[in-house]
Amino acid sequence: MQYIIVGIGGQGILFSSKVLGKIAIDRGLSVAGSEVHGMAQRGGSVISHFKIGEYKSPLVQVGEADILVAFDQNEAVRNLQYLRKGGTLVVNVHDEKAFENASLRSYIEARGIDVRSLKGYDLLKKHMGGNFLFLNVLLLGAMSGAGIGDFSYDEVAKAVKDLSPSKFEEDNMKVLELGREATHKK
Amino acid sequence: MTEVLQTVTKKAILLGNEAIARGIVEAGCLVATAYPGTPSSEILPAVAKYADEMNSPMAVEWGVNEKVAFETAMGASFAGARSCAVMKQVGLNVAADPFMSVASYEMNGALLLVVADDPGPHSSQTEQDSRYFAMFAKIPCFDPASAAEAKEMVFDAFALSERFKIMTMLRPTVRVDHCRQDVELGELQKQPGTVRFEKDASRWVSLPAKVRINHPKLNKKIADIREAFETEFGKYNYEVPPKKEGVLGIVASGVSFSLVTDILKGMGREDVGILKIGTPQPLPVKMVASFMEKYPKVLFLEETYPVMEMQMPDRTKILGRWNGVVPSAGELLPEVIAEIVSKVLGPGAPEAPETEMLKSAIQELGITPRKPMLCPGCPHRASFFAIRQAIPNAINPSDIGCYSLGVNQKGLDTVVAMGASVTVSSGLSLVSRITDDKRPIVATIGDSTFFHMGLLGLVNAVYNKHPLVLAVLDNSITAMTGGQANPAVGTKLRKGDEGRVVDIEQACRGCGVSHVVTLNAYDVAAGKAAVKEAWEYAKEHEEPAVIIFRYPCMLLRHEQAKIRVMVDQEKCVGCKFCINFFNCPGLVFNDAANKAVIDDRFCVSCGVCRSVCPHGAIVEASGEGR
Repeated sequence: MQYIIVGIGGQGILFSSKVLGKIAIDRGLSVAGSEVHGMAQRGGSVISHFKIGEYKSPLVQVGEADILVAFDQNEAVRNLQYLRKGGTLVVNVHDEKAFENASLRSYIEARGIDVRSLKGYDLLKKHMGGNFLFLNVLLLGAMSGAGIGDFSYDEVAKAVKDLSPSKFEEDNMKVLELGREATHKK
Repeated sequence: MTEVLQTVTKKAILLGNEAIARGIVEAGCLVATAYPGTPSSEILPAVAKYADEMNSPMAVEWGVNEKVAFETAMGASFAGARSCAVMKQVGLNVAADPFMSVASYEMNGALLLVVADDPGPHSSQTEQDSRYFAMFAKIPCFDPASAAEAKEMVFDAFALSERFKIMTMLRPTVRVDHCRQDVELGELQKQPGTVRFEKDASRWVSLPAKVRINHPKLNKKIADIREAFETEFGKYNYEVPPKKEGVLGIVASGVSFSLVTDILKGMGREDVGILKIGTPQPLPVKMVASFMEKYPKVLFLEETYPVMEMQMPDRTKILGRWNGVVPSAGELLPEVIAEIVSKVLGPGAPEAPETEMLKSAIQELGITPRKPMLCPGCPHRASFFAIRQAIPNAINPSDIGCYSLGVNQKGLDTVVAMGASVTVSSGLSLVSRITDDKRPIVATIGDSTFFHMGLLGLVNAVYNKHPLVLAVLDNSITAMTGGQANPAVGTKLRKGDEGRVVDIEQACRGCGVSHVVTLNAYDVAAGKAAVKEAWEYAKEHEEPAVIIFRYPCMLLRHEQAKIRVMVDQEKCVGCKFCINFFNCPGLVFNDAANKAVIDDRFCVSCGVCRSVCPHGAIVEASGEGR
């Protein structure tokens, strides 16, 4: 299983691959991934590669990702070529109109991409006082809650709990549940 | 992680840099030093963490720059301690002086240099290949293909250093440093030999007569190491033979080996053989030559320079950089390697027809990659704004750090190397002395960069009487690399190890700067006034003046007042002044309305932008309004 996680530096995307990694290793699986650190982290486009299984390299090739998790819809579109045919996109949407673009729709259709969107900013504004640092946990909740990927919601919940600093644990659990409830097929 | 000591092997998912750190500690290293720099920065903090967990007696310290860090480790190795210095590729340029000299020494304790390269580059000013530096100095270099291999190589690099009494290099690239992989954990080993500095001027004092003896010895050592790499290091240098008759051979080192292995598997090619090389310098030439005999053509994949390729006496069969098959710049990403391999093997797979649709979508939606920028609430943004507005016609040399991103605030004109803000300013001040160009010079430098190399430039400017203003952007952390301590912070890495703060203001005064002012970086009005005043002082007295803009980095997440702001849509005239000169992710321009608006996805309510709008349109928000 190959994942690509994209977003904007500062959105906390590294935490997501940490959670997936923890679950995989607890199951005794081999993992390899690649992260962005340093200057590129400062508000720019960031991309994490994450592979579970017998791979040598830490990078996902274009057209081979099973799942693309996007913290930002523009980054989702910019990196859509990573998804294999029939892959799944989990995306935080802030402007739904963009997905009405005819070229984008025909690409998604031609590649048979399953798009699962959620309005993360609205949800966090409504339920978490607009603390958008919870986007990572929200997306993990949405993904596992919708049965996307290798991991069950319960496994993700346990890993998030284990990796959360104690002062964020309760909030993280709440946001995870929000994510689970929110996923809808677009 | 304390349970580690109870079990012999245990797997953990580690960042490549953590795997290297784990190797350094397990191998019984006694002194580890570094200066942070992406992609190497996470190594030393992880060394300290593991040393604490495993009760290692080792010392772990940041040096103020790479030369200092390197020489500290080098000094410890003279006393017989297994020692290690860590830096990024451009850091080795700074440490090149002792590095080149000590290469020919008959070493006592092991000295390992871990130098992380940044093909791409992702976070660097150069794309240089440190393996060339190993070749230049005539020392051996290990080139890991994975996190696990990097950890293993640490042990061998220490052992090889002791066996041949020579400094060794481990050269991971960014994809090894920042990969996350499962790695086996081991126990703490005790370093061999006794540790005590023995006086021996014939060994530790380098004079030309000594070099004339040592250089031939060094040549013999590196020839012997080449021989050892031919025969003894099968775990790093090995063939992966093809299942069918081979049509292509590939010699690959580093992460390129891992990538091409997965790519060939994905393509289902069973007629390509691979020779994996983990010790590219000195290259086991005989091993490579005999591999090459088996194939009609041989592709060389390595990052970033043709280090292996160049060591082969006969390159006629080689497909590589010398004949343009492999690009001579940029990272060897999976898609780049896939394209090279496809071309070499015959007509590549045609591009999927739908690719054009995605390209159109990206264009039609106006989506571009987001450039890195200063964080919302970053004090540097306020400082750059104040500096730029105080003297709009000034020349603004700057330096290496987060604040290099001040280019987005149009707040800087030059960035070259650590400390070059002050020295470029000196050069410009000399030009103004002999020409009509009397523009003011206001340079910017960060706190860590100030101590790294800025201080010497400042002494030079005081000595030579260069009128310039140096603004030290002191956010009390080495921020760009992830928040490491430095002399301005004063903390150290190991538990219970205390450091001491070196005060920037005192340091400047000690260097002979008379005009030194410290202020709150968020206070834009005070910043503007201070810049004007400092330049007047510098010009009048013909000497450098210093302003310290102090405010903690946003990444430290300290508590601060939340001042919610809004753009008064009536007052906003759409002039884009705030976008052009303040450039905050939380403040964006709505083209349709021709007005600036707050983007609450990114705004952190620092309130600084209230002092930015010339029309007074950015104001504190009352109630729920934006």
